[in-house]
Amino acid sequence: MDRRSALKKTGLLAGAAVAMPTMISLLQSCENEPRLTWKPEFFTKIEANTVGTLVEMILPRTDTPGALDVKVDVFIDKVVSQTYDQKGQQNMRNEITTFNNRCKEKFGTIFASLDESKRDEVLKAEEKSSGKFNPRIWGTTIGNQEPIGFYRSMKSMAIWAYFTSEEIGEKVLSYDPIPGNYEPCKPLSEVGNRWSL
Amino acid sequence: MANFNIDAKKDMVYDAIVIGSGISGGWAAKELCEKGLKTLVLERGRIVEHVKDYPTMNLDPWDTELRGGLTPEQRKKHQVSIRSNWVGTDTAHFWADDEANPYTEVKPFLWLRAHQMGGRSLLWGKQTYRWSDLDFEANSKDGHGVDWPMRYKDIEPWYTYVEKFAGISGEPLGLPQLPDSHFLPPMELNCVEKHIKSRIEKEFDSRHLIIGRCAHLTVPHNGRGQCQNRNRCSRGCPYGAYFSSNSVTLPAAHATGKLTIRPFSIVQSIIYDDTKDKATGVRIIDAETNEDIEYSAKVIFCNASTLSTTQILLNSKSNRFENGFGNDSGELGHNLMDHTYRVGAMGKVEGFDDKYYKGRRPNGIYIPRYWNVDEKTKNDKFLRGFGYQGGGYRGGNAANNENFGADFKESILKPGSWEFFITGFAECLPYHDNQVSLNTDVLDKWGQPTLAIDAEFKENERAANKQIQEDAVEMLQKSGLKDIIGFDNEHPPGYGVHEMGTARMGLDPKTSVLNGFNQVHAANNVFVTDGACMTSSSCVNPSLTYMAITARAANHAVSELKKMNL
Repeated sequence: MDRRSALKKTGLLAGAAVAMPTMISLLQSCENEPRLTWKPEFFTKIEANTVGTLVEMILPRTDTPGALDVKVDVFIDKVVSQTYDQKGQQNMRNEITTFNNRCKEKFGTIFASLDESKRDEVLKAEEKSSGKFNPRIWGTTIGNQEPIGFYRSMKSMAIWAYFTSEEIGEKVLSYDPIPGNYEPCKPLSEVGNRWSL
Repeated sequence: MANFNIDAKKDMVYDAIVIGSGISGGWAAKELCEKGLKTLVLERGRIVEHVKDYPTMNLDPWDTELRGGLTPEQRKKHQVSIRSNWVGTDTAHFWADDEANPYTEVKPFLWLRAHQMGGRSLLWGKQTYRWSDLDFEANSKDGHGVDWPMRYKDIEPWYTYVEKFAGISGEPLGLPQLPDSHFLPPMELNCVEKHIKSRIEKEFDSRHLIIGRCAHLTVPHNGRGQCQNRNRCSRGCPYGAYFSSNSVTLPAAHATGKLTIRPFSIVQSIIYDDTKDKATGVRIIDAETNEDIEYSAKVIFCNASTLSTTQILLNSKSNRFENGFGNDSGELGHNLMDHTYRVGAMGKVEGFDDKYYKGRRPNGIYIPRYWNVDEKTKNDKFLRGFGYQGGGYRGGNAANNENFGADFKESILKPGSWEFFITGFAECLPYHDNQVSLNTDVLDKWGQPTLAIDAEFKENERAANKQIQEDAVEMLQKSGLKDIIGFDNEHPPGYGVHEMGTARMGLDPKTSVLNGFNQVHAANNVFVTDGACMTSSSCVNPSLTYMAITARAANHAVSELKKMNL
């Protein structure tokens, strides 16, 4: 199936989705921060912008929707707001601040205010320094999980939020809520993208 | 399905009372009702009717606001069961309230409970294997525990009986240590599993890799629909395609017109009459009103689940039974067992990148026991044996990939690498000091004493686990897998959710609680046919054996009633 034409039909490529954050000048902070187009439940404006720019760097809009097109940032805010306890929430705030401080040390400003090439540089460094997830079996981590760190955790949450969004889950990934039979050995070409469920 | 009769007010006297409505309680209810007994099922939780009460059965992740995430309140309410990592918003309503039902872990023990009609039969793993005489003779041969008061020939017709009704899918293999069931067609192995099967069976004498044998319908059966490969079983199946009390046994019991099921009924104790030398009924506390009520019956079946049944028996004190009901032997509460869990190996499989599957098969592979099966397979490091479950799938964790951006995003839309894992389940020996006792210092929401659980795996289980991991790594190496990781999460008991023992069957009333037909030695109208009755633990999943033992005991109960022996 031609996903591109399917997407055109849904209007996603025609610009009907969420407008991309635009860059505006913030006189009071002398920083170029994107304007926030939604009201977070938990994050401050800076935190929401940090998460938003980060997830869009990891999963940018291409032929298929990007993280912001399917409101990954809005969903992550909701998850932190409604499923984290106070300690977890404070931890999230601290980690975002620490991440932004690293950007400031290196480039003099917070992540959301950096240009594309500097953000790229930051993420390359984060990829190298972040821990990795141990494998999981039946929902349980195997062995002792070393601390993961903010970047890899956020990347993982972004992928989860992206894959479980209705747009990606039903229209981009291969969606089959009631398979009926089990076909144990099918040519990948007949399926296409990974199953969403 | 018609509405269940839940009006237990108009009648205080029944032919039979069944405590609990899970896997074994459902079978007890069906058998007793079908044999003409007016039966009261006492369920401590709410009514859950098939289909009607499965609110999440068709939900996609994006249909719920948090897509499966639990709130801090839910995590608190299910603080024990979340340790299993199986509790999500899709199933939280089927897990017990851990805050209202505390227990004490003298040593670490995960007690997973489900307080509603159907109990854990809604949440179980559905793997179904027959025991063999290798299991029934094990205690007498190596001297651990006491001898089983039955052998395979005694239970074999009852396996057949329950399998034909429940619907068990699988492939016959003719192995003496894993007798074949009466099978519906097997599910299929995928290409990676087939490949590894052929490698293992070529490299290792006497090892087999088969598709799991399970309580899923691969064809329509007894008015129930076949599995649609959605793998949303634990939310309740709209097709009735897997075995649960709610979809199979309780409707059959209801159809007889003999069933009353009383929800919110917490059994406080069994009433014993000294003058008659038998039980006359059951005392309950209504979970909602806190009312104390007594029901009478000629015969009582205990199916509250291994530890809950034992808790009731320990709490049923009388002049005759000062240390708990039927506890003349002092064995009540002792010999608790579970299978070891999450020890094995996993790795990546190359060469199948152009292959995928369709459907979410709710079943994996099984490698039957191959150690200590005969003289040739004797292992001097541990007694008894283990089997493996596992499977092959396209997984991989995209977050670990060190790329990001456009190409990365497009790449993770494709399925990940093929992975394969096996995880062993080792038999646990019956140790007298693995025990539970009543704790009067910690009371539950209804003011009742709770359980203190004091159990651990010991040297033999640790030696078996060591072998499980070594063998698993070796099998995956010889099958050509890459990036192999051996693992042992060293779980304490409880994680296998196969808790067994604590009111064991035996030949001698001095060393056991129950006789060969699951009757309490000293009160023969009280039967225990849930996991509490188990004398040893085998290494295979126990639920199918609970079904067969229950059907056999119910048959015996009715024939003894007719002979006026109870």
